[in-house]
Amino acid sequence: MVAPIYIIAIALGLAFTMGLFGKQLKNIAGVLFIAGLGSLTFISGQWLWNFMVNSAATEIIYTAGFKPPFAIVLQMGFEEAVLTTMINVAGLLGALYLFPLLDKKGNNAMMVYLIFIMSTNVAVMTSDIFNLFVFTEVESIALAGLILLTGQSKAFQAGMKYLIVSGISSGLLLLGIIFAYQFSGSLTIIDMINANLWAVKASSIAAFLLIVAFIIEMKPFPANGWGIDVYTAAHPGIGAMVSAAGASASLYVFYKVMPLVNGNDWYYFIALIGAITFVGSNLVATRQENPNRLLGYSSIGQVGFLMMILGLQDVLGERTLIISFSILISHYAAKAGLFWISGILNAENIKDWSALRKNPILLFLFGAFLFALIGFPPFPSFFGKWELIMTLSQTGNYSWIVVILVASFIEGIYLFRWLGYAIKLDHAQLPAFKTPWYQLIPIMSMGLILFGMSAYLTHVFNFGPAINYIPLLFVLAIFAIDFLPAYIKNTVSIAGIAYYTYYLWPSLENDLLRQIFIGIFLGGAILTLVAGYAKKGTRAGFYPMALMMFAGLVGLIEAKSMLQFFFNWELMTAGSYFLIIRGKRSMPHAYSYILFSIAGAYAILMGFGLAYGSQLNGNLDALSQISLLPALAYSLLAVGFMTKTASLGLHIWLPGAHGEAESDVSPMVSAILLKAGVFGLILLFLSIGVDNPNATTLLYVLGWVGALTTLIGNMGAVFQEDAKRLLAYSSIGQLGYILFAFTFMTHMGWLAGFTYTINHFMFKAILFLVIGGIVVKLGTHNMYEMGGMIKKMPFSFIAVLISIIVIGGIPPLSGFAGKWLFYNAVIEKGWYFQGAIIFFAGIVAFLYLFKLIYSVFLGQLKDNHRNVKEISAWILIPSYILIIGIMIFSAFPQYILQPISDMIAPHFQSETITWTGSLATTSLGYWDATTIMIVVGTAFMLLLGWLIWLSAKAQKVEQFNIVFAAERPFRPETTHVSYNIYAGYQKALGWIVAPGITNFWNTMSTNLLEFAGWTRRIYSGSIQNYTLHVILFIVVFYLISIGGL
Amino acid sequence: MEYIILITGLALILMGLYGIMYIKNIFRIVIAFALFDTGINIVMVTIGYLRNGMAPILDKMPTEGTTPAIVDPVPQALVLTSIVIGLGVSALMLTYVLKLYEDKKSLDINSFKDLKW
Amino acid sequence: MLKKILILFLLAGVGLIFFDLFQSYQSASELTTTAKYYADNGAKEVGAANLVSAIVVTYRGLDTLGEVSILFVTAAIISFVLKHKPEEEDKNRVIKPASEILNTATVFLTPVMIMVGIYIFINGHLTPGGGFQGGAVIASAVLLIFLANPKFHLNHSIIAFVESISGVAFVVVGALGLIMAGGFLDNRILGLGEFGTLFSAGALPIIYIFIGLKVGAELSNIVGILAQEQNIKN
Repeated sequence: MVAPIYIIAIALGLAFTMGLFGKQLKNIAGVLFIAGLGSLTFISGQWLWNFMVNSAATEIIYTAGFKPPFAIVLQMGFEEAVLTTMINVAGLLGALYLFPLLDKKGNNAMMVYLIFIMSTNVAVMTSDIFNLFVFTEVESIALAGLILLTGQSKAFQAGMKYLIVSGISSGLLLLGIIFAYQFSGSLTIIDMINANLWAVKASSIAAFLLIVAFIIEMKPFPANGWGIDVYTAAHPGIGAMVSAAGASASLYVFYKVMPLVNGNDWYYFIALIGAITFVGSNLVATRQENPNRLLGYSSIGQVGFLMMILGLQDVLGERTLIISFSILISHYAAKAGLFWISGILNAENIKDWSALRKNPILLFLFGAFLFALIGFPPFPSFFGKWELIMTLSQTGNYSWIVVILVASFIEGIYLFRWLGYAIKLDHAQLPAFKTPWYQLIPIMSMGLILFGMSAYLTHVFNFGPAINYIPLLFVLAIFAIDFLPAYIKNTVSIAGIAYYTYYLWPSLENDLLRQIFIGIFLGGAILTLVAGYAKKGTRAGFYPMALMMFAGLVGLIEAKSMLQFFFNWELMTAGSYFLIIRGKRSMPHAYSYILFSIAGAYAILMGFGLAYGSQLNGNLDALSQISLLPALAYSLLAVGFMTKTASLGLHIWLPGAHGEAESDVSPMVSAILLKAGVFGLILLFLSIGVDNPNATTLLYVLGWVGALTTLIGNMGAVFQEDAKRLLAYSSIGQLGYILFAFTFMTHMGWLAGFTYTINHFMFKAILFLVIGGIVVKLGTHNMYEMGGMIKKMPFSFIAVLISIIVIGGIPPLSGFAGKWLFYNAVIEKGWYFQGAIIFFAGIVAFLYLFKLIYSVFLGQLKDNHRNVKEISAWILIPSYILIIGIMIFSAFPQYILQPISDMIAPHFQSETITWTGSLATTSLGYWDATTIMIVVGTAFMLLLGWLIWLSAKAQKVEQFNIVFAAERPFRPETTHVSYNIYAGYQKALGWIVAPGITNFWNTMSTNLLEFAGWTRRIYSGSIQNYTLHVILFIVVFYLISIGGL
Repeated sequence: MEYIILITGLALILMGLYGIMYIKNIFRIVIAFALFDTGINIVMVTIGYLRNGMAPILDKMPTEGTTPAIVDPVPQALVLTSIVIGLGVSALMLTYVLKLYEDKKSLDINSFKDLKW
Repeated sequence: MLKKILILFLLAGVGLIFFDLFQSYQSASELTTTAKYYADNGAKEVGAANLVSAIVVTYRGLDTLGEVSILFVTAAIISFVLKHKPEEEDKNRVIKPASEILNTATVFLTPVMIMVGIYIFINGHLTPGGGFQGGAVIASAVLLIFLANPKFHLNHSIIAFVESISGVAFVVVGALGLIMAGGFLDNRILGLGEFGTLFSAGALPIIYIFIGLKVGAELSNIVGILAQEQNIKN
């Protein structure tokens, strides 16, 4: 083992030696520089290894050969080994990244860099407060020099601000140290802690000065303008060091000195300062467009978050360290990686990050880093946040949870906007950039560290058993073969899903609910993937993301615990986000989708937290016995699930997201993905149970929401000219029916709900597949540019016709079953008013269905569509398989509905339905699907035969082309009969669908951004103002903590 | 006596802070910062003062059991470090001022607001 | 105006903190534990008459190493920030010659100042002073030269050489302590000698000599670079 003191000896020895090398020996200096950093990494790494593998005891390093407190003592324990390894790894990779720049600036720059890394190491290891002061001072002076590497004027301005403010804070630190020394008679941190400085007012001021200086170093909001400027002005490679190595070290140092003020409210103040920083920095960042400054705000926000966690350590107990480490390591890897990518792109505006599309590896890592910052699985921050929320909830600290979730959401606002720009923003000319190997390697290494730590922390948190690795490994495998042509990946994916369904099925025996949903999720997956054979090329990135979504969906089914459920919920969200954003114009829609999704996910997380806190039991069945704020918990969970079912108020993301998605993605996200929300609601309602006093109001309100959603969705569909948006609005309406039916909490209502769920899955998949195929074929979304497709695409026509018969609820198809059950349920429940709304909405549905089939398939064939052929067989095959499904379900519903009936019977004492073969009887009447099918089918066949017989005598007329009748109209749509066909209705009822809700959310977001814009005016750029902020911060903190305010 | 010195030190710190926050000439701000630093150093030395204490330089090896009557040497050692650090910071600041002046041809602090928001 | 009031208000706030600090301050009546230990054992353990030096170089030697690094880093930063190519220099700049008094004083005083500086750091363990003080005196001699002749060229490679060698030597002596004595920077790698004489206190004077050379070189370097800046063409 190499003693840790050699970290100092080697680094300083090398730095001093480098002065000897002139220009001639520059290369040797460069080699020594990298070798030196390598040896530092080796020393700290071997200690880390020693602690982890051999569980060695903490090593105390006595300098000068005397005992503390008389000589300075360093300590190398497990935590120090972790931190120094992190610092040195970042230092080594960062040096590689910056090497050409450092080399150009000469040996001096390398020396400064080396000393920066060395001093950060010592600050972590030292146990002596004055020594800590000296080395943090070395660190900040070295940093002040590294900022100048770019040589730009703004770097000097930033450096000046940094020097002045850190000078003031270290002056205060010195005052604190000297008074604390007088009281404790020692300079070691531990002696000062044992001297109980906070006990007497005199020494508590010393402790205050100490702590406040360290807090200022961590850049608390709003006294942090000087720190942000450093991130903005420094080279991103230096930004990476400050954010990854520097921030980690200062957090650890803070953790070491915090006990100086233990024993009173100060921890609470620290947590509060952290929380304000976390929220404030993220808020201000929402207006930021400079990538480095944005990352700076985000860094400071994350440090605030960690400061808050440290401040809450009395509440979190022994989990504090592991929670903060999981968040720190995500921040560390992600920020270093992001800053480095920023250095490669060298863009002034985040919009220019669209250039990143040219390099798929960097784009992938960029996405991974952002998701790690937000706290998506499988990254460490996900587990950290989960543990944090659960522990806080258990101890009743709800307001902290709200702060964390709000701040994380605000973080999502700007990070996902950024990601959207990178993936999708239209850019006339993507700026060129070079990715040299020495810059790519550090970024990739950070990616590896991130994923490696994810795996490791999953193990440490003992979450391993909670995660189903098989689907995840499959996703990885698909990712590995992403370069292959689409049809190969398609086949592999289908085979994999089919096998997994086969593998999973036995475990779902006697669990009909999950069988139904696995049918929808995986059956749907296979069918929609079949349509993918119609696509050419490699479809880079499509398959891993689609499979990630399906893996998440399967995981929801398999989930036994809340953690599993949430893990997979997030997995599904991430996968579907990437699927949705693939559409040509999908950037804004995917953005609103992901924002609603994370907001919903946080609502679910808090609901789970309350459930966990009530029962101290992580299983999903804890949901049925929530004792902490039960009404709130159930409402949060319902709202969370409703963001996925796109219920009224939370639906505005859906039309765009579904309408603009790729032709085979639309059915995936509509027919399949929305059902995840339904599944969640079913689990929730089952847990709530009938007559739960805490949820009566909730269910009643949700019933109304469901009814109104149906109305708004259907009305919205009526006024659409875009075929896919029409279908998207129709989905909102249908999901409204489903929500409404389940809120009845009666046997009949649930039966109707299940029928609607199954029906919607089938017909919406068909419609989106076929209409999507037609849209691609015709090259337009607009229905008024279509027409007369019945002869060109007869198979499509039949598929759409059957689907709309189902939606319309016309006998003999299964839509009628749904309606019949539904009205039975409404009458039985007595919700007549809502029922009337639904009934009205049903009529509205006919309008849009008519518009759809009429304007696409009937009417005049357009001139430019004369040579159009039927859509691809690969789209028709799954559609017709689903049509067969619809037929079976229509003719013999009892085979599915009767088992469902049996399954839900134990949950509801209410009236049931009696099945005699295909004859269903309720107190209100009876219905026999098979008979109806036979009667209507026979009548239909007779009519059809008669028509065909008649058509033999019909006289064929050539199409009359209006273009030749007169001048070509300036706006062709005005001559199309189906354009604005329901203008009259729109005049009368259009106000219902006036975009009030969209406006509401727009106003909300505008106000938030306005507020952020107003807040960030404090960062006026003036050195003196920043100093003022710092002094103000200190005075206010003093008055609150000691001054007796 | 030590109280007067302590007050002097604290007052110097306040004066330095005033200068840093109020003066417009960036060069003078550096001077104000040096004043602030000096104030800190004066306070530090004062803390180690012991009435009737001698300078902590021994003229002979102390005998067992008797403690030489000296002032506390620790703050003096610390202040030495602090002075050197202050020197480094001041030198660096002056370099910055040089470069800033070279760039904008102005010493007015308000001309260095390129970075904001 | 508003800002001025705010500043005064804030200063009053800081003043309140200081007032509280002052009010609760009581001048010490006896040495702290740490100080008492040094007073009792410092001479015996380190062998230095100047206890401050004993603390600075040995007991808290690591701080001193940090201090040296700060000066070193500062000098390095200043030199890479203000580095200029020789052709950027304005050779034709006309400077008013220094006064007779200054010129004469420079010639006479410079060697004396350097001598005094060396004396101060060699005797750092016995008398007030030490490496930093001695180095600063040497640097002021260099400053005097620059005052008399602004176009004076410091030989940077010699300075860099002195700086590097003494810095490395400091670290090596420190590391020897780790190997031959109780720990990093332990001065007992050499005999403590007779108390109060020049050759006493083990490696302490040696370290102080290196520190003195290093600090002198670094400060001279800083002075040199800053002085040269005025000769640069704009």
